[in-house]
Amino acid sequence: MKSASGEASALLVERARQGDARAFEQLARDVERPLYRHAVRMVGQVDAEDVVQDALLSAWRSLSSFEGSSFRAWIFRIATNRALDRLRSRRRHPELPLDPPNEGDDDRSWAEPAAPGPDLVEIAGDREALLIVEQALSTLPAEQRAALLLRDVEGFAYEEIATITTVEIGTVKSRIHRGRLAVRNALVARGWKGPAG
Amino acid sequence: MHPFAELSAYIDDALDPSAKAAVEAHLGGCAVCRTRFGELRGTARLIAALPVPVPSRSLAPRVSIPFWVAPIRTLATLASGAALFLFVASAVMSALPFGTGAGAAAPAAAPAPNGPAVGGPVGPAASVGVADRGVGLPASASPVGGFSGYATASPVPEAQRSTQTDATKAVTGSAAPAAPRGDNVTATPVAVVYSVPERSQFGPSPWFWLVLAVGFGALAFVLQRRLRTR
Repeated sequence: MKSASGEASALLVERARQGDARAFEQLARDVERPLYRHAVRMVGQVDAEDVVQDALLSAWRSLSSFEGSSFRAWIFRIATNRALDRLRSRRRHPELPLDPPNEGDDDRSWAEPAAPGPDLVEIAGDREALLIVEQALSTLPAEQRAALLLRDVEGFAYEEIATITTVEIGTVKSRIHRGRLAVRNALVARGWKGPAG
Repeated sequence: MHPFAELSAYIDDALDPSAKAAVEAHLGGCAVCRTRFGELRGTARLIAALPVPVPSRSLAPRVSIPFWVAPIRTLATLASGAALFLFVASAVMSALPFGTGAGAAAPAAAPAPNGPAVGGPVGPAASVGVADRGVGLPASASPVGGFSGYATASPVPEAQRSTQTDATKAVTGSAAPAAPRGDNVTATPVAVVYSVPERSQFGPSPWFWLVLAVGFGALAFVLQRRLRTR
């Protein structure tokens, strides 16, 4: 059963598809902040606004081709592709590396941190823990980061993430787990011993 | 064997029922996996609790506004500023004294429009000019205002001038000391053109520029409101 907001959104999408610019603007306003927070963690603050505006304009131009059931997943797909394009462009003209230098498909992320730090159980939920998480996320491969953010921040289901990132659901599962584990390892390396309580 | 690879999917409830049951059974008897499960779940919660960055401006494209509104708004703003500048500049220019400064206070005598003056000297009429200008040409010869730049002195009809001259004499008495006694001023058809010093005219009136500046400013304001309407 669809929620009232879901029905309203579907109505807006239908009106926008028929060329109602104001309906699209309303839709864009509803998703601009989630898109921005996703883009910031994908490409950084400098390029995030450009990525989001580019994605929204692109969505408006190709709205007639939208036939899916979730406008939100569709617009996140466009924005994620734009962000990945931006990162690839950076890799061609390097300023920052797209992926960490030791990126590979092996299972090193499973390894326990070599030397756990002091007992800092209480950092969970604190600013320090969030800083560690933020830093660890920025070192993840872009595709892993995208999958993990789409899951843990935006709350998409695995099937939706597979559609957004155009990969198999098994790949999504693997990326999310590896990304989450890498963040966990970064926390444990700083002495984190799991959530308090 | 520990089902580490399944733990994240288990946390996200993304396993099929049989795999989910197997993981649950293992977690019941494996402290290592329970610890790892707790850490991964805590990590997911920390990621979800990250601070939310907010864009510095609205990022939603205003597709309902015609594309030309923004450039027209900019042009109107610039035009308003330019017109305001022209208003100030032309007002200053028209206030500056240009033209015949020496003749500013002295009326100039001119021959009658219908030919040379007959029977009467021009001098008397010219000599009463100062008084005449004050009495006889109260409105028509005076500048419209500080910004007009025009000062048209129109010839005074003969009869009227005669009356004016008489009145001037009556009122001012010695205002025309150079007038010869007994000179029949009223009988002498003399046309006098009072020359008010001309001021240079630079384009339209300054008021025109002010009206233009206000108009463009209003247009820019309206378009700006339109652009800001959310």
